Amino acid sequence: MEPDMEQLMEELHQCRRCGICRNAVYDAKGFDGICPVYENSTGFETSFMRGKIIVALALLNGELEKTAKSSESLFDCTLCGNCTQICPAEFEPAHTLELVRGVLAEVPNQVREEIAHKILSNNNPYEEDNSRKRKWISELGFDIPTNGEILYFVGCTAGMRIPEVAKNTAKILKAADLPFAVLEEEPCCGSVLLRTGKPEAAAETAERVSNAIKESGAKKIVVSCAGCLKTLKEDFPNKFDIELPEVLHILELADNLLQEGRLKPKALPGKNTVTYHDPCHMGRELGVYESPRRVIQAIPNVNLAEMETNRETAICCGAGGGLRSYNSELAKKIASRRVQDAVETGANILATACPFCEHNLQSGAEILGEDIPIRDVVSLLAECVE
Amino acid sequence: MEEDTIEKISQIVGSDYISTRDDVLLSYSVSASTGYDQVKPSAVVRPGSTEEVSKILKVANEANLKVTPRCGGSSLQGEVIPAEGSLVIELMRLDSFELHEDLRAATIGAGVTFGKLDKLLKAYGLWLPVYPESSLVATVAGNVAVNGAGPGSTAYGCIAEMVLGLEVVLPDGRIIQTGSEANPNAPGPFLRYAFGPDLTGLFIGSLGSLGIITKVSVKLSKRMEEFHYQTYGFQEAEQAENFLIELKNDNVNAVFASIYEGRILGFFMDMLGEEYHIPEHDWPPFTVSVTLGRLRKDQLESDVKRAAEICKDLGGGVIGISELPRGEWDDRMRTFARSSYAHGWHWRILYHHQTPSNWHKSIEAIWDVMDEYALLGHTAGFATGHSSYNFYPHLYYFPEDEEEEQRVREAHVDLSKRLFKTGAVPFKLAPYWVEGVKEMQEYMKVLKGIKDVLDPKGIMHPGVMGGL
Ligand SMILES: Cc1cc2nc3c(=O)[nH]c(=O)nc-3n(C[C@H](O)[C@H](O)[C@H](O)COP(=O)(O)OP(=O)(O)OC[C@H]3O[C@@H](n4cnc5c(N)ncnc54)[C@H](O)[C@@H]3O)c2cc1C
Ligand code: SF4
Ligand code: SF4
Repeated sequence: MEPDMEQLMEELHQCRRCGICRNAVYDAKGFDGICPVYENSTGFETSFMRGKIIVALALLNGELEKTAKSSESLFDCTLCGNCTQICPAEFEPAHTLELVRGVLAEVPNQVREEIAHKILSNNNPYEEDNSRKRKWISELGFDIPTNGEILYFVGCTAGMRIPEVAKNTAKILKAADLPFAVLEEEPCCGSVLLRTGKPEAAAETAERVSNAIKESGAKKIVVSCAGCLKTLKEDFPNKFDIELPEVLHILELADNLLQEGRLKPKALPGKNTVTYHDPCHMGRELGVYESPRRVIQAIPNVNLAEMETNRETAICCGAGGGLRSYNSELAKKIASRRVQDAVETGANILATACPFCEHNLQSGAEILGEDIPIRDVVSLLAECVE
Repeated sequence: MEEDTIEKISQIVGSDYISTRDDVLLSYSVSASTGYDQVKPSAVVRPGSTEEVSKILKVANEANLKVTPRCGGSSLQGEVIPAEGSLVIELMRLDSFELHEDLRAATIGAGVTFGKLDKLLKAYGLWLPVYPESSLVATVAGNVAVNGAGPGSTAYGCIAEMVLGLEVVLPDGRIIQTGSEANPNAPGPFLRYAFGPDLTGLFIGSLGSLGIITKVSVKLSKRMEEFHYQTYGFQEAEQAENFLIELKNDNVNAVFASIYEGRILGFFMDMLGEEYHIPEHDWPPFTVSVTLGRLRKDQLESDVKRAAEICKDLGGGVIGISELPRGEWDDRMRTFARSSYAHGWHWRILYHHQTPSNWHKSIEAIWDVMDEYALLGHTAGFATGHSSYNFYPHLYYFPEDEEEEQRVREAHVDLSKRLFKTGAVPFKLAPYWVEGVKEMQEYMKVLKGIKDVLDPKGIMHPGVMGGL
């Protein structure tokens, strides 16, 4: 997958330097600020997209030396795509920045090298024995085969760090009476590799994933992670020419199952107001906005309260684009601002649909000193259909 | 820049808010003006209060350090490109907002954009009815520093007309307040022309060469909710021009009105036709796109009727396509960003004011220059207030083509000279007008005298304002 440098340079030249990507507040279109990095850092021009593009051009044309320091701002970005959403030019700045990271291979960056090394050698970024990705199954009380027509692709974070999401996904599928499989040795989907600028390594993991899925006999793939969703559904065909069977998020599937009456949730105890945080990969990237909301609203005793920025204009949780690894302090600060947004709605639960978001928002709540529970919609639903 | 100066400034703002990093300096070496050479400052500082701005300027003055004030960095004529080696003082952290509801006024910090202000005011049913088409990035203070205009200006004039007073830090660090707020006991901004001559006006349009505006007090109005969008067609330029003049004469409240000549309309349709759902149409040689706005329905109905009568009396016809003005008005905070760029090209802009009756003279000069220099380009514009029409022709070039870029630069100077001869005046006294303003030597001498008094060491953004 050789990068087309000419096309990349042309895209970078599309930037009009208008600066709308900084902090545009555009009430009529639902924007209340744009760039979470600008809002939560010292805010120099390099913090938001206009400056990042100037730096990228200078690094690529030799005006700036390719050092870790001079390229730092390119990695201080969650690739959330909120700037793309409002940018008036004819390119997609967040995607372009992802490509820039990929071609700046000479730039020394210890964090991304370490992540790539871990993923390539362990099939997960957590440096653990990959067979642990199936460990949660033993706590379920029923077994899951490794082959089948519906494959639940667990993802590294749900499998190894937030097994509740995996267990609850399994419970929902079970409650709907849908037989499903989980791979024996599930390779990492490679999302982090793509975002941090390791496209060759991502191509390698994509190959591994594709082979494993082929062997499983899957005709439909269900995921519970927004990052896996975007990678398998969009990046695999677009970047690696790999066509997988239909890929959908468990909440998209659950939405259908609820509408068909195959899932009948009981009431969630107490009076609940839930606010929903749109994961960037699932929302802005793939346009999945309504199914998670419909699932929330299908649960008796639950009201949905929207945050001021939602759907296309939702502010990021701060974890994306590898920022949690590059600059965890900034990532957590961004999360605390997002939790603040949630608290302002008066909701008593902040729900999302991505283990990365859940994890980072949790850190944000801790910084903020707010004890608002942060739940995955999957867990909320599982609690009501068991 | 001396190490000890950096140290002094970092003690004022905290070390996080001053940067001398190469990548940061590079990102402050340009603005939205793609057609201008980049110039690197030696440091960038982001103060958090007026007091910090004042202390920084004291240090800069002592060190003879040149200073470039910067807000949104959205200016298009190179105005905010720093002087070589200067200190950029970026004011986006000054984001205060104080509403004086009973005075129908607000006092806002230099870092507040029009978009942000509009949202704050909407909650009170108020607005600042002038929206530059960069409202999502331009600050009110930055717009005051260039005396900008935008949708809304057709009825209300340039932003200058909205200003009630300013808080300014002078080059030596003194903080002054103008307008009624110069009396600390005043309940707020209610009169601009208080305490003798208009010091406020001195800083409006001064491009940061006389001091740093840290707060702006502006007039507000009740937010209009009644609008009517219509296009009017004419065969002759003169009819379209007279249409704008008669609307004004008859007090028909056009909040935004533009004349489109066929060529320009074609360009605009290519860019935005689909997005604004403008139907295909055999447009007349001259189309006037008008948004009428009033507080009350009865007023609006009367204006709609009168506009149609005036159009007919002048020999024109009501076209009946409302999507064009509606798109312009509804998307007023960024129509320009959506419409005025050609795919991947760089460009220079030549902001100027004409009279509506001379509209065709600007158009002729613009097309002549584009033809003679064999350039791609177009022009847009809108009526701005009492008797003026604001133009912003664009001259495009392919960024990789140095020869073409040079031609654009020459055409730019040539065009400004020709426009000056037609009676046009600069809108934002950017450097390229220097040639034209030579015919105004005495005026410029007085300006220079004022500059020398306020800024004897010449540290404030040297080079702008005709090279002061
Ligand atoms: C897409 C687009 C559309 C535009 N449409 C319009 C339009 O409709 N109408 C219009 O008028 N302009 C328009 N512009 C130009 C530009 O947005 C305006 O000139 C704007 O007002 C500049 O404000 P800013 O905050 O970005 O100032 P900057 O670009 O940061 O600065 C502009 C000038 O003012 C000085 N300055 C800035 N802040 C201060 C301060 N606080 N005190 C003293 N001096 C200061 C700077 O030194 C510089 O000379 C447009 C630009 C773009 C990119
Ligand atoms: S990335 Fe888009 S929004 Fe940002 S400055 Fe460039 S053109 Fe404007
Ligand atoms: S992708 Fe998100 S974080 Fe990155 S520059 Fe754009 S808005 Fe900022």
